[in-house]
Amino acid sequence: MNSGVQNKMNTKTTIPFGPQHPVLPEPLNLKLVLEDEKIVEAIPAIGYVHRGLEKLAEVKDFHQNVFLVERICGICSAQHAMAYCQGIETLMNIEIPDRAKYLRVIFAELHRIHSHLLWLGLFADAFGFESLFMQCWRDREKVMDIMEATTGARVVISINAVGGVKRDVSSEHLAEIVTICDTVNEDMKKMEGAFLNDYTVRHRTEGVGYLTKDQAYSLGAVGPMARACGVAQDLRTKGYAAYGKLGFQPAVEQTGDCWGRTSVRIKEVYESCRLIKTAIATLPAGDIAVPVKGNPNGETIERVEQPRGEVLYYIKGNGTKNLDRLRVRTPTFANIPTLLVMLPGSQLADVPVLLLTIDPCISCTER
Amino acid sequence: MIANINEISIDRLLGETQKLAGQGYRFVTTSCTDLGDGKLDVLYHFDKDAELQNLRIKADRGDEVPSISKIYLCAVLIENEMSELFGLKVAGMAIDYGGHMLLAPEALKTPQAKITIEQRGAK
Repeated sequence: MNSGVQNKMNTKTTIPFGPQHPVLPEPLNLKLVLEDEKIVEAIPAIGYVHRGLEKLAEVKDFHQNVFLVERICGICSAQHAMAYCQGIETLMNIEIPDRAKYLRVIFAELHRIHSHLLWLGLFADAFGFESLFMQCWRDREKVMDIMEATTGARVVISINAVGGVKRDVSSEHLAEIVTICDTVNEDMKKMEGAFLNDYTVRHRTEGVGYLTKDQAYSLGAVGPMARACGVAQDLRTKGYAAYGKLGFQPAVEQTGDCWGRTSVRIKEVYESCRLIKTAIATLPAGDIAVPVKGNPNGETIERVEQPRGEVLYYIKGNGTKNLDRLRVRTPTFANIPTLLVMLPGSQLADVPVLLLTIDPCISCTER
Repeated sequence: MIANINEISIDRLLGETQKLAGQGYRFVTTSCTDLGDGKLDVLYHFDKDAELQNLRIKADRGDEVPSISKIYLCAVLIENEMSELFGLKVAGMAIDYGGHMLLAPEALKTPQAKITIEQRGAK
């Protein structure tokens, strides 16, 4: 081979992946440096949907901010509001009724199920398994239907308020939620085989996007990203809201690849169904909220486990109805740095599947 | 109301961060607040076994704060964000987005910083 041809073959190529790409529901850009089909360097770039919501929170009062934080991300809206309300309640020394704590858990876990089913569907679509995509989203519709029946909305359900929850759930609707959990549980058992055991699907997921346990931990990975690498961190083990009374155990895998992340999310769907059914079976009677008097003062940190992992709220009140500072660190913000390690060494054709396994939520990330 | 806050000077930041990394802490994020008198309050949050440890520094707006991204690479995003939104000078970031990680070139500079009406009028 002459030297000219040799030099051309060794040339590095830089290509942009995104911000608009069929696999991305939201805009994210990756600058990929390639040698042939192999990635040698990757730089993620965001900044397409920054809305300045943290600044807006300083001019809304602390009750209005519940509506604001729900709109940081639709898919995790219940958990955003839950984290914010828990933080304000800590600042104001408010103890909410037990029934409200259980209802918060029920809606948070319904959100986790619909988020994971959304992701599983998108993931199936990314590797071209469209019937599996439709099966996932068919079950997700059932979850969204019951959220609409109980709260009036399918995604941004606005159930949380400072001091408790806004609406109670009737016994008929609770029975319907149990039926839906049983259906989702049974359907997931059928779909699990396709996601985890199918020969062609395993070729797309096994060994792809590998991350060691130490890398995941030192890069600050959270949620299913960390748990798929054997890092058993899940804030629900801290027992906030009613989790301490429901016997929660985190789902963990050791493989550290795309297969492991899929497996963790499937296990979490089963666990969410179990948590909801246990919460409904032991749901205490009583009030769903307490009156809120005064304004928040002081600073606090609140953390909650969202479908994508840990969300952190830093809240600083000044004794007035407005906050001095509301800071939100979302799970995708924590998981993006893992791309700096996972992408180099991967094949270009694996990027869509690999990128999806961090379950990127860019509106969350940029706020 | 926040437990485990260690208030330190800027020159001790790298040493204390290195110490926490050696003890097996995971970097979570930072929370920056403009105190309104030309000072910025920065809390660095670290986690181990679901318990937080926090380092607090107070910086004047013109101060240069060292980047911890050589110890925790994942700090690079939040350091760029603090630099863009608050005008905090962070020296030695592993990846420097040049002030445009979140903000477009034509956007208002340091939008999260507190600014007086007089200062806004002068811009």
